[in-house]
Amino acid sequence: MNKFYITLILSMMLVISWTIYLTQYDERNLSSVKYFTVSELSDNVSPINKMKLGGRILPESIKINPDNLLEVSFYVYDAENTVLVEYNGIRPDLFKDDAEVVVTGSYSDNRIIAEDLQTKCASRYEGDLKNKSSI
Amino acid sequence: MVSQIGSLVLSLAGILSLFNFFLFVLYKHSNDQRYLQVIERSLLSQSFCIIFSNLCLLNELLVSNFNLQYVAQYSSYETPLFFKMTALWAGQAGSLLFWSSITSLYAIFFILCTLKKIPSIKNISFLMLNVILAFFLMLNNFIANPFEPVSSDIIVSNGNGLNPLLQNVTMAIHPPTLYFGFIGTTIIFVMAIAGLMSNELSIKWIYSIRKWSLFTWTFLTAGIILGGYWAYNELGWGGYWAWDPVENSSLMPWLLLTAFIHTIIIQERKGILKSWNFFLASGSFILVILGTFITRSGIISSVHSFTAESLGPIFFAFLILLFLISLGTYFVNKSKLIVNDKIESIKSREGGFLINNFLLVIMCFTIIWGTLFPILSEAWNDEKIHIGQSYFNALNIPLGILLLILMGMGPLLSWGNTSGESIVKKFKTPTLFSFAFGSAYLILYLNKFDFYVFLTLIGIVFTSTAIVTEFYRIFLKHRKSSSFFHSILSTFVRNRHRSGGYIVHIGLTLMFVGFIGKAFETEKEFSLKPGEEIYFSNYIFKLNDITSEARGNHFAFISDFDIISSSNNFIGKLYPEKRVYFYWNSDPEQRQPHSELDINSNLSKDIYSIFSSYDAEKNVGFFKIMINPLVSWVWIGSIIMILGAILAFWPTGSRNGNI
Repeated sequence: MNKFYITLILSMMLVISWTIYLTQYDERNLSSVKYFTVSELSDNVSPINKMKLGGRILPESIKINPDNLLEVSFYVYDAENTVLVEYNGIRPDLFKDDAEVVVTGSYSDNRIIAEDLQTKCASRYEGDLKNKSSI
Repeated sequence: MVSQIGSLVLSLAGILSLFNFFLFVLYKHSNDQRYLQVIERSLLSQSFCIIFSNLCLLNELLVSNFNLQYVAQYSSYETPLFFKMTALWAGQAGSLLFWSSITSLYAIFFILCTLKKIPSIKNISFLMLNVILAFFLMLNNFIANPFEPVSSDIIVSNGNGLNPLLQNVTMAIHPPTLYFGFIGTTIIFVMAIAGLMSNELSIKWIYSIRKWSLFTWTFLTAGIILGGYWAYNELGWGGYWAWDPVENSSLMPWLLLTAFIHTIIIQERKGILKSWNFFLASGSFILVILGTFITRSGIISSVHSFTAESLGPIFFAFLILLFLISLGTYFVNKSKLIVNDKIESIKSREGGFLINNFLLVIMCFTIIWGTLFPILSEAWNDEKIHIGQSYFNALNIPLGILLLILMGMGPLLSWGNTSGESIVKKFKTPTLFSFAFGSAYLILYLNKFDFYVFLTLIGIVFTSTAIVTEFYRIFLKHRKSSSFFHSILSTFVRNRHRSGGYIVHIGLTLMFVGFIGKAFETEKEFSLKPGEEIYFSNYIFKLNDITSEARGNHFAFISDFDIISSSNNFIGKLYPEKRVYFYWNSDPEQRQPHSELDINSNLSKDIYSIFSSYDAEKNVGFFKIMINPLVSWVWIGSIIMILGAILAFWPTGSRNGNI
């Protein structure tokens, strides 16, 4: 029976170390994705396999491909820098100028090929009642 | 007026719980049993007060008293009556009061039924219940009071209304079901602590805690599944599970509770694993509170978390308190937990349970780690990390498959030790069947071979065959002494713990059939004008028309699709909608767009359609279509699982096993 417990504990340790390994941020390890801000990206010259970027859409930078309405490119900006994002897919409802977005994709040469695009929703259902009391 | 009464009664409950602490000191001092009686009555009245004040809040929601901040925020005149009721738990303050009411309801049953049978654990149980109720009453009274009036300088003519995503029948029953599950662990925690402190880990105690945990488990399971069902039918990302932090926090206690339900059987039979069971029982409540902390502190962003209203530190403190209570109880009473007996062989039912516990606890650990890692990472070196679904899948798919196979092996093993002869005899049929299906898969799908799919298939065949043969064996045993129909009935009704358990396992096995479908999902996003069609995954989707309609509380664009098979047969229609709630509002920011999806479902696959947006100028709709194979099996398996669980905890009557 002791042998059994030892096997159990050893396999437990094995799985735990594998677990911890998986969460370690690494270029090749796609389980763990790092968030960047626009400025952090601009400082980064090397390409990144998979990353997330948070920021706002630069007003009047949204360009939709007239031949394929699903294809869009736009700039995300913060106080200092901008970065180009290209995305092919359905855009969220709140996608518009100055909307806050989270983009997931790969990065190289100051350009992101996005595989996922999400807007942070300013839901009317949470937050302050004061400024919307007269609906 | 009603709101003042509600608020007053809520404060009264708070005062009673403070008064109880004072009584405990007197009781400890004098050891006079009369104090205990007073505490019992005070706890009961406290509980009734909380439930009453919750009913007051319900009344205010139904009559739309917008003088209350909470009512104004979560309902409006347009909100249908039924959803005014569900607004009771739609927001932070209301849901916390709702939480307290369920705790109270459980406390009443626990005091009046369970503690009547096991009076020796009364004192500690009362103390623990009071600590927990006092914590929630503090939240209800001071931090998130749903009876808070709106600030005096504004007049609310109409409320915000309930989020359209929540205006769905599933969403109306999912939160209360889940709450009944979550909060049931409170009683399990109380019983674990009180049982150990009062040295009352008797068979009576085991029966009771087992009943409570089966009951809780049933609600927790149903709640989690309903959440997935709602996400699948309403949220429109085409899946039922996404390893979202909030989903994870409901799965963590579920895993521990599942482990507990199994090893408590070993404790009942052999009197061993007492310490292990103590940690599983108290751990499941601690994980519920951890989950609540994750959901309500605002430290993790998630689809369905409540936005930050600094409850984080308070829940964290409570978490630490509970943790210290259980550790303290354990170390003070360690000597009572020493047992001489041990597990004889790994080739036994109890050995199987141990491996099952190992797998469940490890799964629980990987989920806790993956959920908390982003927080730890940000606190540690300010790096914001997102842990993706691939992390959870990489670990939990193999562990889940092992669990599936083990689920089939368990019932074939005997208690104590299984002889080699018996192993051959019992494992023969399931092994043969899984071998046959496995080879068939290899021959048919070698070009699309997927290792996990292969293993899951083998697991499903092995486990279902094993359970069915086991049922057949029990049936034959009964058949010797009674008629055909009577023996079928006896197979399921005699020893309900066992047959209920097996049915749960069959349900879970069927759910795995649905999980296999995950490996074959495909999707396509496209834009289409009325009259055009698109070919995808052997189907033609023809968009006939897009119409619009103003309805009670929203405006809808309705698309009309024909699904046509590649051999030109008409298969069905799809009507996904794009809705705009509050479309009459002049400020576009205040309008709420929503995609109402449509699913064409059968046993082999779901054709899932989403109308994402509509460009009225160009008359173009944007759509997403997904082919999700085998999803129906997840729901079929779930229903069987819940039915099995109900059978397992249904009172047997004759035995003293009732709650």
